[in-house]
Amino acid sequence: MTAAAEIAVRMGEIAVSRTAGDVLVSLGLGSCIGLALVDQRRGVAGLAHIMLPEAIAGGGPVGKFADLAVPELIAQVTALGTARPMLQAVLVGGAQMFSLGGSGAMDIGARNDEAVRDALRKERIPVVAADTGGARGRTIRVSPGGPVLSKEAGGAEIVLMQGVRA
Amino acid sequence: MSTFTTMQLDALRELANIGSGTAGTALSQLLGRSVDISVPNAFVLPLAEAVEAVGAPEQEVTGVAIPLAGDMDAVVLLVFPVEDAGTLAAMLGVEPGTEDAVSALSEIGNILSASYIGSLGAMTGLELDLTPPQTATDMLAAIVATVLASRAAATDTALILDSELRVEGEQCSLSFLLLPEAGGVREILSRMGVEA
Repeated sequence: MTAAAEIAVRMGEIAVSRTAGDVLVSLGLGSCIGLALVDQRRGVAGLAHIMLPEAIAGGGPVGKFADLAVPELIAQVTALGTARPMLQAVLVGGAQMFSLGGSGAMDIGARNDEAVRDALRKERIPVVAADTGGARGRTIRVSPGGPVLSKEAGGAEIVLMQGVRA
Repeated sequence: MSTFTTMQLDALRELANIGSGTAGTALSQLLGRSVDISVPNAFVLPLAEAVEAVGAPEQEVTGVAIPLAGDMDAVVLLVFPVEDAGTLAAMLGVEPGTEDAVSALSEIGNILSASYIGSLGAMTGLELDLTPPQTATDMLAAIVATVLASRAAATDTALILDSELRVEGEQCSLSFLLLPEAGGVREILSRMGVEA
């Protein structure tokens, strides 16, 4: 067992943990999605900080794109000793902060939200809670066996999923 | 990973220097105050590190985003710490935190970007137009990441040209960021005769 730590999951990154007390955090999600996959009973959690819906060749790390990040996150959490039927998903982010256009984008936030949900549906993983859309940025915090929390700038922390550990 | 040579980064930094010098002069004329301009930074970073290079991820800021149209795909992003945005609004004679303050900051964004982009266009011969500014007050990371996501589909790195302007004698500073899409950067460099 390693000592508990706060682990920053930045744009395009994926992190997983089964250490009680660890906190996986993505600070200031705008149009990006923070996707948490958790197995509360076994105390396993993973977080992906997804930027865009679909991968393009040479476009960067797998964690950046919904279609690649979802299977990769599943592979990483199951490698920590859980099984796919035990996994539950929580989504945070996908806001429309600006309408910036560019590279065929309508509203990247909404498209990210849809793409992550589509990818989860294919993997038969249920989305049990979400705090997505709107125009405000959010921070997600996930602890193995603990709660999944969302917080807007200047707002109160919302519990999206209760922890099983005190 | 897209990389740039030291010489290319120097050329980009020099562009940012001239651009922010022009923008600083415009701000100074607008306020009737002296404005200090920092030496600009040119960062080429993995996307994951891009936000922290600009500032603390959860710091609350007002961002004015101005996408460019024309020969280069890029977004100009002005970032004001919330208190400094208030100071600036007060200097312009509008109540901080109101809709008038938001439109005043958008207008400042427009004026400074027009100066910066105008000098960039003059140096490179690129045709560059500003599109209307959009303003949001939120966490720095949410603002920067959202702008990067709108341009970063095909790249795993972010190029950020960052200059800081500071109004002398006031708690009022802003970061002026130019976030070009990778193809746009190559276009600038080739116009300046600085090939890889």
